[in-house]
Amino acid sequence: MKFQKRRANTKQEIPTASMPDIVFMLLLFFMVTTTLREVDVLVDFRLPEAKAIEKIENKRLISYIWVGKDKRMQINDSIVKLEDVQKVMYAKRQALPNVIVSLRVDKGTDMGLVTDIQQELRKAYCLRLNYSSTIKI
Amino acid sequence: MLKKRKIAEAAIPTSSMADIAFLLLLFFLVATVIDVDTGIGLTLPEFVEDITTVEVPKDRMAAVLINENGDVLLDGKPISVFQIKDNLKPRIISKIELPLNKKIIVSVKTDRKTNYNTYIQALDQIKQAYFEVRDEFSNQTYGVKFSKLDQEVQNEITKEKIPIIISLAEPESVKK
Repeated sequence: MKFQKRRANTKQEIPTASMPDIVFMLLLFFMVTTTLREVDVLVDFRLPEAKAIEKIENKRLISYIWVGKDKRMQINDSIVKLEDVQKVMYAKRQALPNVIVSLRVDKGTDMGLVTDIQQELRKAYCLRLNYSSTIKI
Repeated sequence: MLKKRKIAEAAIPTSSMADIAFLLLLFFLVATVIDVDTGIGLTLPEFVEDITTVEVPKDRMAAVLINENGDVLLDGKPISVFQIKDNLKPRIISKIELPLNKKIIVSVKTDRKTNYNTYIQALDQIKQAYFEVRDEFSNQTYGVKFSKLDQEVQNEITKEKIPIIISLAEPESVKK
């Protein structure tokens, strides 16, 4: 009598065809859920161009001040008045002693306003400054 | 007896697709740069109530005045914005070997109505002058570009040989 080995007829395989789909699903999930901490810029501005520019290596230290075409100023998420700049920036400096203030000022602004902001920054002891500008080619 | 012909299954191996997806994902993770901030760096002086004025010898000063029309005066001589660099370079070079308290001070003064763009252009020219002098200096002494030097040597040049000293004067009407 011939013995026959018992063997299951089904294939012993994990279907791997759907693996990329799973990976893509994961990727998409993380893409959707991560928020790159970015603020909504409420002012309209166009940066000046310059050649001798430096990159700011430490992005964590940067704090932005936007100045738009209509001379409105924005810090964090809200429009601020010139008188409030000192108070807001001083609080920022206390939280982060070596804060770098990046001035994102519109091309067409008058220097008077920029100087006023600088005076406020000096009073708030935020002395490291960066005039944000794009590379001129 | 007729044998049934076995038909080979035509399939693309899909098990490696996941790896390909991961590779793609990793490549883009590494290669993406999220909005690097670039600009002209500067350090403001501390705020003091009563300003003590210090006399600075004339040959140390390079006064850049910009009026509201964008006209530039360098030490009383009217020039265009794009000439600032070439005018400053020889003056910076001549003071490389002098001690720190004899280095050139570039003073930038604007009007309240001066265009911000013009101011940045002028500042850019001044910075470019300094950067080019640094490059030339390191080329002459070390034979390589400034950016290729060791951090220590770079520090020595930026601190002792060619420090960037820019003084921002307040616009006229503020002082009144």
